[in-house]
Amino acid sequence: MSFLNLVEGPLFSFAAAVFLFGALWRLIGIIRIGRKKDISPPKASAAAGFIRGNLRHFIPRGIFAKRTMVHIVGGYGFHLGLFVLVFFGAYHIDFLNERILGFSWTAMPRWAFLITSAIAFAGLIMLWVRRISDPVMRLISNKDDHIGSWLTFLVMLSGCFAMEQAHDSLRATHMLLVDIWLVYFPFSRLMHGFTFILSRGNSGATYGRKGIDL
Amino acid sequence: MSTTTEIAVEKFLQHTDSEAASFFEACVHCGQCAEACHFHLATGDPRQTPINKLRPMERAYKRDKAPFSTLKKMLGLAPKPVTEAELKEWEELVYDSCNMCGRCTLACPMGIDIAGTIRKMREGYAAAGLVPEGLKSAAEYVKKTTSPMGVTIKALKAQIAHQEKATGIKIEVDKKGADYMCTFSSMEIMGYPEVLGAYAKLFKRAGLSWTISSVAYEATNVGVQIGSAPMAKEILERVVDAAEALEVKHVISPECGHAYGAIRWAGPNLMGRQFNFEVVHIIEVLDKLRREGKIPAGKKDSRRMTLHDPCQIIRRGGLLKEPRKLLDESCDDFVEMKGAGLTNFCCGGGGGVSANPRAEELKTKAFSLKAEQLNGVENLEAVVVPCGNCRSVFEDGLDAYEMDLEIIGLSELVAETLAEPDEKQG
Amino acid sequence: MLMLAAFAAPAAAQSVRPPGNAVNLDDGIEDGPSNALGDVSDTDIWDNFRGGNPKDILAPTREGQMMTTTGQQWRVIREKFIRKYLGWAPLVVIGLLAVFYLIRGPMKIAGGRSGKTIPRFNLSARVAHWFMAGVFIILGLTGLIILLGRVVIAPYLGLEANSVLTSAAMQGHNLFGPIFIFALIWLFIKFVRGNFFQWVDLKWIFKLGGFFGGHVSSRQFNFGEKSWFWMVILGGIVISVTGVIMLFPGLVDDIRWLQLSTILHALGAVALIAVAFGHIYVGTIGMEGSLDSMLKGEVDENWAKEHHDLWYEEVTGKSAKEEDAT
Repeated sequence: MSFLNLVEGPLFSFAAAVFLFGALWRLIGIIRIGRKKDISPPKASAAAGFIRGNLRHFIPRGIFAKRTMVHIVGGYGFHLGLFVLVFFGAYHIDFLNERILGFSWTAMPRWAFLITSAIAFAGLIMLWVRRISDPVMRLISNKDDHIGSWLTFLVMLSGCFAMEQAHDSLRATHMLLVDIWLVYFPFSRLMHGFTFILSRGNSGATYGRKGIDL
Repeated sequence: MSTTTEIAVEKFLQHTDSEAASFFEACVHCGQCAEACHFHLATGDPRQTPINKLRPMERAYKRDKAPFSTLKKMLGLAPKPVTEAELKEWEELVYDSCNMCGRCTLACPMGIDIAGTIRKMREGYAAAGLVPEGLKSAAEYVKKTTSPMGVTIKALKAQIAHQEKATGIKIEVDKKGADYMCTFSSMEIMGYPEVLGAYAKLFKRAGLSWTISSVAYEATNVGVQIGSAPMAKEILERVVDAAEALEVKHVISPECGHAYGAIRWAGPNLMGRQFNFEVVHIIEVLDKLRREGKIPAGKKDSRRMTLHDPCQIIRRGGLLKEPRKLLDESCDDFVEMKGAGLTNFCCGGGGGVSANPRAEELKTKAFSLKAEQLNGVENLEAVVVPCGNCRSVFEDGLDAYEMDLEIIGLSELVAETLAEPDEKQG
Repeated sequence: MLMLAAFAAPAAAQSVRPPGNAVNLDDGIEDGPSNALGDVSDTDIWDNFRGGNPKDILAPTREGQMMTTTGQQWRVIREKFIRKYLGWAPLVVIGLLAVFYLIRGPMKIAGGRSGKTIPRFNLSARVAHWFMAGVFIILGLTGLIILLGRVVIAPYLGLEANSVLTSAAMQGHNLFGPIFIFALIWLFIKFVRGNFFQWVDLKWIFKLGGFFGGHVSSRQFNFGEKSWFWMVILGGIVISVTGVIMLFPGLVDDIRWLQLSTILHALGAVALIAVAFGHIYVGTIGMEGSLDSMLKGEVDENWAKEHHDLWYEEVTGKSAKEEDAT
């Protein structure tokens, strides 16, 4: 079995399984800790607050936005760009079609791919630079943050190197890094991709119950 | 015999429910909370970053309660245990530099309620006795007199007598079956007793009966500020028992910060049962009575006025529109400050900070953000501050920054601008 | 890019050969001349293909022309000059810096650090700088691999390895190129104020910037820094424009633009890389206290008094000459 077949085959299946089960275990573990039922008379629905809290925090608040512009521009640029790349890049659609889903959809044209990946990279680099130069972020960041962001950057960079699939070794490197990323995900800060739903929802529910639209 | 650290950590873990856990699991260390915190903005010290203030509790959770924590401990990848030195170092961050104002909660993209989690963290500190002296002595006073400032029933009755004389209206004490039982903060009773007269005027006009309990007149809850659920429950029980004994229909929480949350939201959970009365905030009552036409507005106050939104009433209490409606109707020249409303700056004295002499300098520094907000309104003459604690902080703060503004309570303003019984409305 | 790929294989050979997949005229399919070269001289055959004088390098491409006139000149420039000599420029600069360091040593702050700092660059300026630095390094590395892979990597690691690296480098370079444009604009916005040349810079030049002893006055940025800023901006514009042309060759319809682009791009890039080493040297080991300005945003007061005395006086209101009375 070639190295490429290894990282795209059994190793990928293993990594994807760790990713799925690890993430589920962690999420369920958080929920199972439980919380005491709130018996004070509610002013509004907590469930509605859960949903509203999740949606509201997508929109940055005007008065803070000025001071946190780098986070907003870089953060959204990176996340949206990466999402679009992963699900609308031609190679990714092919991979998903062959390996997992069995169906495909239209891919982006080349120029859109270039612009999107430029935005995604620019966003990630902006955030990374901010993390190592802002005194606040320097104080509160730990190894997990740095490993997570570097790993993601390397996954993206190796993907960029492997474009147009000129060499198997480049594609294999990208796949290997993806596998490592998938295994690292559930045990690290990267889980914020799922836990944000819980945290936004919880504060949305707690405050929503009191009739407060935070 | 448990050590201080063990006691604190045990409480941290006990109070890290799935809500707090989801917060610890979602933080991506972006630091946006720092941009919202007046302590950080005033000092520029990165340690004042709100999420940083939670670090010992977060570490304890990640080491002992989080999913995969056992696995990580086996591999040596779990965070190190919390040390006593760290707990002591963090005491100032937890008590002196946090008002639990909730501005950080607003700014966090992950919706992490840092303010609410500080409240939970203080449980660990309170149980371990790592509490600032100022709050400890307030707790002592409360034990003796029910009031954190040591205001006795004798002192209260003296203030009541003055106000009865000034308004010509009787203020009933321990009246059974009244519509409303009112509680007050000691700060109001001693510092701004005109509020008692204002209530008398307003309730008389609305034709409603009200009373003050001689054993449960104090609204503030130092247990909430210290962060001790047992203490908070004990203080609350007094009010609940007195209200139920007097068989009142409603208990009014006054113009005070945390008092409303303590009895309205935390109360039933602390006591494990519902109350036989409804809890309302005075601003809610005034707004309701105004809409029902029972306290119509008369001649408007002409001073150029703005509103300071107390954190626990507006941002964390939900009463955003009510004070504004009342002020619009009572004032000719009501102007909003920049950033007023949900994103308003805290006065800097809430959450126990103003009872903590050690935090005096920091509190004054943090007020600079408030001062800046006030200075943004040209030719400002007065500011309406619907919270007794905020009022005293304002008095010190305006003095420190050499600003000349009148400070008014909301009930007093509404009472003063009440239409005369024969006057046409509006 | 496709053109480069097409040229890559036969580039090493200086003489003209038919391509490897040409038909062998000796297999007897039809009667024809056994000597494919014929009686006409090489020059004439190629002149016919070109449809003109090879020395006329500025002539536009004519319809029906099978080869450009300029192609050969361009190839010679790339092979004989760019690929052969340009790669040395950064190495020469590094060598000069090493010599300078060995002779002059790091320039210490006169009077040592005072322990007091003043702010020099705010957070957004620092973020813009390091963002550009990161993007620049990635582009520089991948660009050098593309340019010099054949002469520097292939002989040691083999052709296959070179192919992999160069392919990866090309993809990376193409993708990060547009980010550079954004970084350049951001850098310009953040740093243009203070970087306009003033009279005090002339004095700086005459005293050789104090690199060889003596004190020179400067405002926020000295002549050296200003020159570097404008080099980056103007060089960066050249690199950006030529880069975009190369990335989207369909934008131009005359091949000479593409040829010019490759030359200017390489020249501009290597020039910037070479001077960047000087910038990095002075910003790190070459001058004590410099790195603080971009890493922490604050500089020691004595550093400011020595290197940017006029700026120090503007910012603090104090004279740079008096001793601190503490």
